[in-house]
Amino acid sequence: MKSFLLAIVAFAAVIAAIPAARGQNNYEIQVYGSETVAPKTTMVELHSNFTVDGQKNVVDGMEPDNHVEHETVEITQGINDWSEVGFYIFTSEKSGQGVQWVGDHIRPRVRVPPSWHWPVGVSLSTEAGYQRAKFAPDTWDWEIRPIIDKTSGRWYWAVNPALERAWHGPDVKLGIDFSPAVKISYDFTKQITGGIEYYADYGSITDIASLHDQQQQIFPAIDLNVSPNWEINFGVGVGPTAATDHWIVKGIIGRRFSWGKLN
Amino acid sequence: MTTRRSFLGGAAVTAAAAALQSALPASAQSPAGQSFGAPDYNLEIAELDWELAAHKKIRTWAYNGQIPGPLLRVTEGKPVSIEIANRTDHPEIVHWHGQWIPVAADGAAEEGSPMIPAGASTRITFTPRPAGLHWYHTHAPADRNLSRGLYTGQFGVLQVAPRSGPGLDPGHYDQEQFIVLHDWDPYYASSDDGSLMVNYASGSINGRLLGHGEPIPVRPGQRVLFQVLNASATEPHWLSLPGHHFQVLALDGAPVATQATVPMLRLGPAERVTAIVTMDHPGVWVLGEVQRTFRDAGIGIVVEYAGATGEPQSTKLEHLTWDYRVFGSPTPAIHKPDLTIPLVFTSRFKGHGALDQWMINGKSYPRTQMPNLHAGLRHRLVFINHSTDNHPVHLHRHNFELVSISGVPLSGVHKDVVVVDAGTTVEADLIADNPGNTLFHCHQQDHMDMGFMGVFRYA
Repeated sequence: MKSFLLAIVAFAAVIAAIPAARGQNNYEIQVYGSETVAPKTTMVELHSNFTVDGQKNVVDGMEPDNHVEHETVEITQGINDWSEVGFYIFTSEKSGQGVQWVGDHIRPRVRVPPSWHWPVGVSLSTEAGYQRAKFAPDTWDWEIRPIIDKTSGRWYWAVNPALERAWHGPDVKLGIDFSPAVKISYDFTKQITGGIEYYADYGSITDIASLHDQQQQIFPAIDLNVSPNWEINFGVGVGPTAATDHWIVKGIIGRRFSWGKLN
Repeated sequence: MTTRRSFLGGAAVTAAAAALQSALPASAQSPAGQSFGAPDYNLEIAELDWELAAHKKIRTWAYNGQIPGPLLRVTEGKPVSIEIANRTDHPEIVHWHGQWIPVAADGAAEEGSPMIPAGASTRITFTPRPAGLHWYHTHAPADRNLSRGLYTGQFGVLQVAPRSGPGLDPGHYDQEQFIVLHDWDPYYASSDDGSLMVNYASGSINGRLLGHGEPIPVRPGQRVLFQVLNASATEPHWLSLPGHHFQVLALDGAPVATQATVPMLRLGPAERVTAIVTMDHPGVWVLGEVQRTFRDAGIGIVVEYAGATGEPQSTKLEHLTWDYRVFGSPTPAIHKPDLTIPLVFTSRFKGHGALDQWMINGKSYPRTQMPNLHAGLRHRLVFINHSTDNHPVHLHRHNFELVSISGVPLSGVHKDVVVVDAGTTVEADLIADNPGNTLFHCHQQDHMDMGFMGVFRYA
């Protein structure tokens, strides 16, 4: 327990030392692990994110997200033991506006098979899709996300140094955007894992944004490992920079469906 | 070149071998003091590059440069001597699985059998009993090293022929086939229940991936005696042959009370099945794993009828089925035990990135505390599995008779390994008739390495 607290303090110190940046749209707040969904298995996840204290004004034609609920359905199909394809349906719910469709993404992913005996888990995800201009200034964008992780005893860490590129919208001219995410967690019990997740957007890799314009979020989060078929994650995030939503509550609930394992 | 160090090592080994010989009980020594004559068999443990398939080689340790090791045919009651040369860089030991022999020959350091130092040789002699399908394998710990222990190719079949009296009578059969399963390319992965486990990228039958070994040629009407051994370090396997059924004659080498006919075989790690298949469904078939994942990984062998052509066909079964009880006596006869020994299996979570710690009655080896056995008495071993894993538990130098599974009585099924399913209780009667330290353990390499062992001592 003492080592866990020390690690959190060290992690917070590292985060504080990073020159912070701009951020994501809070539809899917998750640090990816390197494992892919098994073949003949479909993973269905619901990402529920509520912005408790966020942007209250229309900026560049974008709807404010204060007190807005984002519900994202993610369906991931395992292809073989080293690849999967994910599909997203993004929605936004706000009082008086009902449920609004925001956009869709597709996300193929490959990984280094564990039989290669690499010392860390490695996979590469790429994601592309559309979102309505009302909810995001860039309507078409693309992301490539290397994923490196490692489980050792009760400890787990993952790093996602993601790069994003707008294909259509005002940020096209900004080129490639750097949006890293990091997670470190500790297994308190077989069922309960607690940790810290960090999400950031530093802006263009050729012109890192000022701290004021960067987005940074830190989420103390809990993973509940109640069943092999279920994935449950819950966290409360704080955004310390001006460009970040200040308080967000996020939850992920996922169910794994398998079939035809025998034949 | 002989260095001083290797000379001293050799001298030490010679002394140790002499000490072992002198320590061997009469039944473990070769007859007429022939210890240093020609042995009946030689086993050399050495590293090799083994071709599982045309383009698939593995580097591992094995016996006599082959996988599986040589088939050793011995006769019950007739002493056999085996010279074992350890050409590895680490201590090794060979366990004679299923044999009721003295500790010195059994091959389990936990009981007191001597390890064979790196580069040394030793000779063991024992009198085989009982008859049936048995095997030999390394009993060296792997710890967390997936290139040691039973993750390697150190296994082979020991076939003990009955000398006289009632033994297994398989009736008429036209050919005998030995089928040895093993899993390769192990790696750690998350299990369904969140603990770390060992997975495999490939598997083999008789050392070859499916499609890369010689097919078994058969003719319609033939009766084929299959002698099947699961030599996997950790994985149970289900085997089927499409369109055919297995008439099970023996389990772990011991004849069963009812020779039931089943559509598939299940073998936990270290289990053996002797079964007859009547070839009455011409075609080209895969005798292989029922689960496609394992079959695709290589666990299968082609069975080819004379004149049949086409791609080998695999089983499409919806369920995995196996029940020891179908091989029991139709009218179970359960004797009253002299002593009852409950053995509760539990685990302790050590993190999603670590192997669980395993315990028997709350303690891990070497702290396990096993009750004493009393010579000549009937001990009822009650295996209570409180964990979420199935455990193929094995008792050295003895076997036991299953007397109940999940409360349903049973008799006439004698085994030295029984799979105790998660959350269930199995009762087995042990007649303590082979004094000496007796190791009991889960035969999953990762479980025994993480504490799932205990040594019974005779009072």
